[in-house]
Amino acid sequence: MKLLGKVLAGAVFAAGFTGAALAADLTIAVPNGSEGDGLRAAAADYAKKTGLSIDIVQAPYSNLFEKAANAGATRSGAYDLVLMDDPWLPFFAENGYLEELGPYFRATGTDGPDSDFLAKSVALCRNPYNTGKYVCLPYVGNAQMFFYNPKVFRDHGLEGAPDTWDKVFKVMEDITKRGKRRYYGYVLRGQEGNPVVANFMPVFWSFGGRMFDAKGAPQVNDAAGLKGLEFFLELKRISPPGAESFNADELGTYLLQGAAASSINWPAWVATFEDPKQSRVVGQMSYAPIPSGTKLGSSEIGHWLVGIMKASKHKQAAFDFMIWATSPAQIRISAKRGNPPVRFSIFTDPAFTSQKQFRHYPVLMQAIMNSTPRPRHPKWPEIENAFGVELSKAVAGRLGAKEALDRANRAIEKIIAR
Amino acid sequence: MERWAEEHLRYLLLAPAVLVLLALTVFPTVYMFTVAFQKFNPADPSASAFIGFANFARLLVDDKFHNALFNTLFFTTVSVAAEFALGLGFALLVDKHLRRANFIKTVLLIPMMLPPIAVAITWKLLYQPQFGVLNDILIRLGLEPLLWTSSVDTAMASIILVDIWEWTPFIFLMILAGLAGLPDEPYEAAELDGASAWQKFRDLTWPFLRPVITITVLLRVMDAFRLFDQVYILTRGGPASVTETLSYYIYKVAFRFFDTGYAAAISLFMLALTVVFSMWFIKRMRLED
Repeated sequence: MKLLGKVLAGAVFAAGFTGAALAADLTIAVPNGSEGDGLRAAAADYAKKTGLSIDIVQAPYSNLFEKAANAGATRSGAYDLVLMDDPWLPFFAENGYLEELGPYFRATGTDGPDSDFLAKSVALCRNPYNTGKYVCLPYVGNAQMFFYNPKVFRDHGLEGAPDTWDKVFKVMEDITKRGKRRYYGYVLRGQEGNPVVANFMPVFWSFGGRMFDAKGAPQVNDAAGLKGLEFFLELKRISPPGAESFNADELGTYLLQGAAASSINWPAWVATFEDPKQSRVVGQMSYAPIPSGTKLGSSEIGHWLVGIMKASKHKQAAFDFMIWATSPAQIRISAKRGNPPVRFSIFTDPAFTSQKQFRHYPVLMQAIMNSTPRPRHPKWPEIENAFGVELSKAVAGRLGAKEALDRANRAIEKIIAR
Repeated sequence: MERWAEEHLRYLLLAPAVLVLLALTVFPTVYMFTVAFQKFNPADPSASAFIGFANFARLLVDDKFHNALFNTLFFTTVSVAAEFALGLGFALLVDKHLRRANFIKTVLLIPMMLPPIAVAITWKLLYQPQFGVLNDILIRLGLEPLLWTSSVDTAMASIILVDIWEWTPFIFLMILAGLAGLPDEPYEAAELDGASAWQKFRDLTWPFLRPVITITVLLRVMDAFRLFDQVYILTRGGPASVTETLSYYIYKVAFRFFDTGYAAAISLFMLALTVVFSMWFIKRMRLED
């Protein structure tokens, strides 16, 4: 009987402990990596400042999506705030997982985010894109850039900026040819699914490709799309062997090891290139907007956005934190921690742009201003997967460009019709 | 009171385990059955609609499912066959010549004791085409480097190789335990009758080992059939979907596309296939007895 009493007492204690853990004032879900680390550090500062108890749940990229989507679907209220990759937004917003921010802004006497945020960054936070209600605020200002080693490009005859694919490709091809399988002109990110799609989209857009027509029907296999994929396969030809399985890490490794001259990648890598502990190319890399094909080059935008979950039980506290974390002072601190800003005043601040590790800010701001969002469709994860499967087959040499795009178009049609 | 406790104590002691089993196995399975017949709305389950066999009809026309099914069957057949051949061979060798070599047995067990994710990450580094150890060895030997998991031609073989490395020790251990329990008399009699080594294996060892082999192969087939972790870490189903298995496809359908009803239908199909195979295999092994 005594034993039973002890067990019961233990159970009551455990239940109390769990209850206490669940009773945090705010719970925030963030991804692994610099973006999540940045918001986690900000949350720690906010907790110190306000005395609130803030729990941070940090998870790898795809697990974060699953966790947050599950919390949204089950309305568990497990998270008050989620740091989301921008292509997730239509899924979260269309399924009603996010709290609309209009009433909270109006309560503070404003209509929405202030005008210091870049317009393209704020547009992502409206659902539908750029026109709808605010459901989040931008926190990390990612957009793809063209990373290249200007000295190597110059040595192979590139005069001036790498502004057109036509001009750049000849140089990259020559670098690969002379590199004798030890050094490559370009590294392509060809892993099936999101990676290959993310790498293809800027090329696709720069040749005039569009995912959907005005009526929302897929058109990836039109002449412009085909031209884009044919060029993408040329980039694969001059990339290191195995590029069909490369993700961002492999791209970064090739550049960090000084084994490749260029790639399209995300700005989070800039700090790593300048770190002598990890990089053999410190001070050697340069950054440019995506080169143009038949159309003006355009980056894929890939911001990290912070939104309040509809099932949150601490919505006002979550909003207050969100406003604080995205204020100019905090975005300045976030930039120093390695996350690209989303505010004009930080991008153009000479205190940043005069420093080596922030010298890409003018290019990045230009890339964001001239970026294209991924198509805003609630079924985007599935569409992206279907598109990525066929692109992967083309990159792996299993399908020709035309057949891959025809198959992708049919698969996307089916997904939309279902 | 004492008598009541004596009569009911076993139920009380069993209750927590039964409750856990009901909550974690029986309930999800039953729930999966119901979800498989619905256009399930994860945001609002009450708004889900009954659609009969529509999710199962999709299985007939979904080429990604067909591809994943083929890959899974191919992987399971090749990897389990290779593991069985190697495991049986090692076990016979160790049983005959190295019975007391506990060190070797322990070393052979290491791959199985490692967490599958750690195994997959280690192999990912070994397979890296440009900077990986395996290609470095090939180059030093004057051979052409391979693309391993990066090529459509070698990606599945690379995953099978990892599985063989990791799970051959399991078959080895099971069969070695079976061999240790074999009686000596029939072998002594066969020796006197002048039976060859092959005859002794075919007519004595194999029939004696059949129960162990049945359970070992069954466990390996069921485990290989739900391959996920190596695919997730090494290839994410690529390149060109040549390594996408059923489990990985279900994961994507359920947790990336949130098409829960269809994911439940595929899971049910997978469950049915495993049950049918297990029944057939056990029956066949019993018939041979």
